[in-house]
Amino acid sequence: MADGATDQAPGGEPPAIEVVGLCKTYRTPLRRRRVEALRGVTFTVERGHIFGFVGPNGAGKTTTIRTLMGLIRPTSGRAALLGEPVPSRAARARVGFLPEAPYFYDYLTVGELLDLAGRLFGLPAAARRRRADELIERVGLSRARSQSLKKFSKGMLQRAGLAQALMNDPELVVLDEPMSGLDPIGRKEVRDLILELRDRGKTVFFSTHILSDVEAITDRVAIIARGQLQAHGTPSELVRRAVLGIDVAVRLPAGADAGPLTAGATQVRRRGDELALTLPADADADAWIARAHAAGAKVISVAPRHETLEELFLRAVDARGAEGADESAGGPSPGAAGAPAASASGASSASSTESAPEAAT
Amino acid sequence: MIGRIAAIALNTFREAVRIRVLYGILVLAVGANLLSLVVRELAASADEARIARDIGLAGISLFGSLTAIFLGVFLLYTEVSRRTVHAIVSKPIERWEFVVGKYAGMALVLSVLVGVFAAAMTGTLAWQGVPVSEVIAKAVVLAWVEVLVVAAIAIFFSSFSTPFLSGIFALGVWAIGRVTPDLERAAQAASPSIRWTAKAAALLVPDLHLYAVSGRTVDGAHVSVNADFVSWSYVGLASLSGLGWIAGLLALAAVLFHRRDFT
Repeated sequence: MADGATDQAPGGEPPAIEVVGLCKTYRTPLRRRRVEALRGVTFTVERGHIFGFVGPNGAGKTTTIRTLMGLIRPTSGRAALLGEPVPSRAARARVGFLPEAPYFYDYLTVGELLDLAGRLFGLPAAARRRRADELIERVGLSRARSQSLKKFSKGMLQRAGLAQALMNDPELVVLDEPMSGLDPIGRKEVRDLILELRDRGKTVFFSTHILSDVEAITDRVAIIARGQLQAHGTPSELVRRAVLGIDVAVRLPAGADAGPLTAGATQVRRRGDELALTLPADADADAWIARAHAAGAKVISVAPRHETLEELFLRAVDARGAEGADESAGGPSPGAAGAPAASASGASSASSTESAPEAAT
Repeated sequence: MIGRIAAIALNTFREAVRIRVLYGILVLAVGANLLSLVVRELAASADEARIARDIGLAGISLFGSLTAIFLGVFLLYTEVSRRTVHAIVSKPIERWEFVVGKYAGMALVLSVLVGVFAAAMTGTLAWQGVPVSEVIAKAVVLAWVEVLVVAAIAIFFSSFSTPFLSGIFALGVWAIGRVTPDLERAAQAASPSIRWTAKAAALLVPDLHLYAVSGRTVDGAHVSVNADFVSWSYVGLASLSGLGWIAGLLALAAVLFHRRDFT
């Protein structure tokens, strides 16, 4: 194994996903310029885990997933699903796959789509019907059963895609951007479905740019940027454990001057009589609180500030921007390079993610 | 394997019958048969039956082949361009099974179309009082095999090219295939390089002239659909030749499709 991006279990069972030194180089159509989509990606996903695969646009998430599903041939490197080499029919028979922004035959109804999927999985007619009924109910499309997919909204298509991915009751579910196009309720339903799959012993590997979803449900996370793995571990391992600052919020008396309290703060936000600010990590919080009380302010909250997954994500992607600066860290696989927090030990306190920026696709 | 191929074929049939252009072609083919009524009035009475049959059979061959090219270049390509193929080839299906399934679905649609064309032709012939005999059945079978070969040509090009280029290539091969013996004959008097090129073209392109027995000229005599000339053994051999081409072209298409990345 080329780097530390592993999720190895002690048991003898092969991992759900094993990717070793995966490289993919394309050539642009006219100028034949080389584009390296994947540069030695190595990671392992153990069975029974929910694994989040995170990265910005063009990072290589979808290329990795399509390679796993046999849609793309790697230039070099190898991969295996449930111990079966990729690409192979045996591997695909035990895996469910939801493509990114799925396109299905829009003249079919969801029932017909699931029947087609069931036929391709070799399910007998009765099993296809039973399974399709269960899944249509499970993804909440019962009322749209007689409609053709042409009339489906993006969110409904995503649900139909999830249903067809589960037709074979797969051991491993690979979902490319499963929350894309869903409203908050739909996202929660998909999260619940993923958790339910994990509870039933399935492995779920999904890519996303919605970091709050990653923090909420994943057991392990890998961050990829520019075709290389940047970090890998549990969400709490990945974010920096050290306190980055102290967030305090106070309510000021009417007409009070906030100036004396903001001295030394790294961030100051004021809304009406409420003052929120961030003090440096080494600031004397007790002394500041005493000053606030002396000024007649009422302390609302004081909380240490840890790194969020979003900050880690941005840091990992930025670090890769300084190309080559991190190359000394790893072995033959660049996946180890610059893994900024993968080696962080212990668990940090729960970090809050206030936003789920769409920019980090 | 059969179940997976049948699933793709059935789905392709469903997809194809929703293409409105097919219904336009159907109207044109029926219109061509009606045209024979007009042409009949202009022809000498002795040629009436031949003209009616020739127009009907030419309609099956022409419109069937054009439909085969249209379906062949679009149905496989759109699977890739619309990415519907992603949800299919990620299932436990081999890519060659997918290609064969697509072809089988197309062949099913084309067979139905040829059946409708043939029904329209025989209806028109019967209405004109032209006897509908076994020779018509032989000619229809040959036209049907030709259409299936043309579909395989189109799907072969579609496995690696865009619909526009695939259409051009398939039309080119169809046109050359229709005149292969004439090309070879014309090249006899030409320079060795042209003769060699014509020979190579004859080898690389299916001889579709085999299936166009109607209106064919043999040794200066117009044979039309002739029971003596077109025996059932001839139909069988020509069909076997067609099946060989179909198998070869689908095998090549499958190899090319297998090597593709679906990005």
